[in-house]
Amino acid sequence: MTMPFTLRSGGAASWALRLVAGAVLVYVMFWIPTQASNGVIDTCITALTLMAAAMALNLLLGYTGQISIGHSAFFGIGAYTTGILVSRYGWSPFQTLAVAFVVAFVVGALVSLPALRIKGVYLALVTLSLGLVFPQLIKAPKMEWLTGGARGLDKTGFKFTKKNPTYEIFGWNPWGNLRGENVKPFLYWIAMIIVIIVYLACRGVVKSRAGRSLIAIRDNETAAAVMGVNLAVTKGLAFGLSAALCSLPGCLSAIRTGNVTPDSTNLTVLGAITFLIVMVVGGAGSLWGPIIGSALYVFVTDRTGDWSDKEAIPAVLRPFFGWSHTPPGSGIFAVVLIALMFVAPFGIVGMWHRVVRRFVKVVPRPAGTGTIDTPATAPAEA
Amino acid sequence: MELFLQRLADGLSQGSVYALMALGLVIIYRGTGHLNFAQGEMALFCTYVVYQCGEWGIPIGLALPIGMVVGFALGAVTEVALIRPVAKKSPFAVFIVTLGLFQFLNWLDGAIWRDQPLPNSGVGSVQQQFPSLFPSKDTDFITIFGADIKLQSVGVFVLVLALTGALFLLFNKTKLGLAMNAVASNAESAKLVGIRTNMVLMVSWGIATAIGALGGVVFAGINHNVNLTLMFTVFIYGSAAATLGGFDSPGGAVLGGLIIGVIENMAAGYADEWVGQQLKVGVAFVVIVVVLLVKPSGLFGTAKVERV
Repeated sequence: MTMPFTLRSGGAASWALRLVAGAVLVYVMFWIPTQASNGVIDTCITALTLMAAAMALNLLLGYTGQISIGHSAFFGIGAYTTGILVSRYGWSPFQTLAVAFVVAFVVGALVSLPALRIKGVYLALVTLSLGLVFPQLIKAPKMEWLTGGARGLDKTGFKFTKKNPTYEIFGWNPWGNLRGENVKPFLYWIAMIIVIIVYLACRGVVKSRAGRSLIAIRDNETAAAVMGVNLAVTKGLAFGLSAALCSLPGCLSAIRTGNVTPDSTNLTVLGAITFLIVMVVGGAGSLWGPIIGSALYVFVTDRTGDWSDKEAIPAVLRPFFGWSHTPPGSGIFAVVLIALMFVAPFGIVGMWHRVVRRFVKVVPRPAGTGTIDTPATAPAEA
Repeated sequence: MELFLQRLADGLSQGSVYALMALGLVIIYRGTGHLNFAQGEMALFCTYVVYQCGEWGIPIGLALPIGMVVGFALGAVTEVALIRPVAKKSPFAVFIVTLGLFQFLNWLDGAIWRDQPLPNSGVGSVQQQFPSLFPSKDTDFITIFGADIKLQSVGVFVLVLALTGALFLLFNKTKLGLAMNAVASNAESAKLVGIRTNMVLMVSWGIATAIGALGGVVFAGINHNVNLTLMFTVFIYGSAAATLGGFDSPGGAVLGGLIIGVIENMAAGYADEWVGQQLKVGVAFVVIVVVLLVKPSGLFGTAKVERV
């Protein structure tokens, strides 16, 4: 069967497509904070937070094959590092990001030690209990002097006063109005930068030698070890980096809301499960999977957020969801997740690839460093 | 001494609930080799069904069997419709499906019954509290060596022992039990000698979920309440119990549950400065990590030989 279209990876058409997609992305990236309403910006920050967390988890689960249902703990480490340093010691929120990164890296690397022996669903069990223990540890009486116990910490964000200047570039103020309460664009840019950092870190790891050893561990641990992958070091780094990256959106959540409590959703096991679900729905083991999954999840939960009130449901859908006492967002997503396991185990991105491959013949870049027109020469037979 | 006995009794009654949860996990694991992460939420759904029966005026003695039948149906349907088709693809897919089921059931409970339907939330409810299987008023206790032991604790403990005995008979003295053992030891060979493995697996999931339902009702009865987060910690204690006892040993699961219940209560009671009520769940975490690291097959499980 001949394909209607042929696309050479690295060819002119492929670069043009990338350029168009990149331009659209950048346009949207700038459109949201400058043109959209505050409510929309706020929803976008929520989506960006989830994206960063899901991408961090993807590095560990999607690429290395180590199941974690405890990433809420690393998210919480980020939130509490920022919270404690800002509210108790008066640091600037930006400085705390680096500290959170280091702390979470160390804790993540420690968690990788049992993961050297414990595999598969048993590891899921260990991480699940870690996720359950974390909020309790925060609430423990012995920790109260540091973490504020069940009440949590407040004043963990930026202190904006009348003195803060407003930055303008030819009449355009990219950070929003820092003088008043209207600081959403500013927070949006912090979130966007964190997402970009996490994306670049994941991309850098995945497309390198380290990434190939992660995938080797995922596909066959014994074979990877035989091929010379150092399991202990690689797993330790994967856990550490994944935890460290996951702590960044945690810091963001503390900066954004200005307070940290042990019972906020992203710090509990339900948060960890949400990270996992959006990642798998989007496509585990693909760079764009978590991004698409998170965007979709936040879109659905935002649209259906007020559906516990019957009047808010569109008339067509009222018979389906009118009986529900709670917004149906998480239920819908759970059904989508289960359905995807039947039809497309690699999520939306995997499905997209399958559909595209039906119409477009993608010629991969030849192995080695040659240009696209000279196919890599096969090694001569001895 | 009185304090010790009281804590022991509390530990044993809590441990009984963990034992029930662990039994459900073990029965499923023996059959299919899967860890059912939705076990706690399936039990919670049945517990809400029992609550609803109470709202309709059905006494708990009748509501409990209804809840367990619903649990059996839920487990059987889950195995046939969701787990079996996906299990052919990969174990990871089964894990994701059970996790999806976890999220779905948790949402469904909230959607139908709200988070906390009992009077403490102000939502109209006929019942004042979740009905208990055993007398649970403040005056219902017996005194042993000066310690006041609640009748409820005694009742729960006896119930679990009776159920364990019944399961022992089921596994060892009936055709069905024999078939389940055969499937557990080698599914392929069992099929070859004419055992209907599909039916056995379906029934295993059904029984496991029905036992989970019993655990949920007992636990809600102890707490006088049912809410959406009720089973999170119970599930993790149950998993810890199954890990400790060995994932393929029902007797080990019961013993593991009781041990963990006692350890947890003793740790919370005697080390209340460090552990206390808040960090009780840390006991489960430590038990899971230590057992998996030191003796992954648990106390009574069979060690798995891995072939490369």
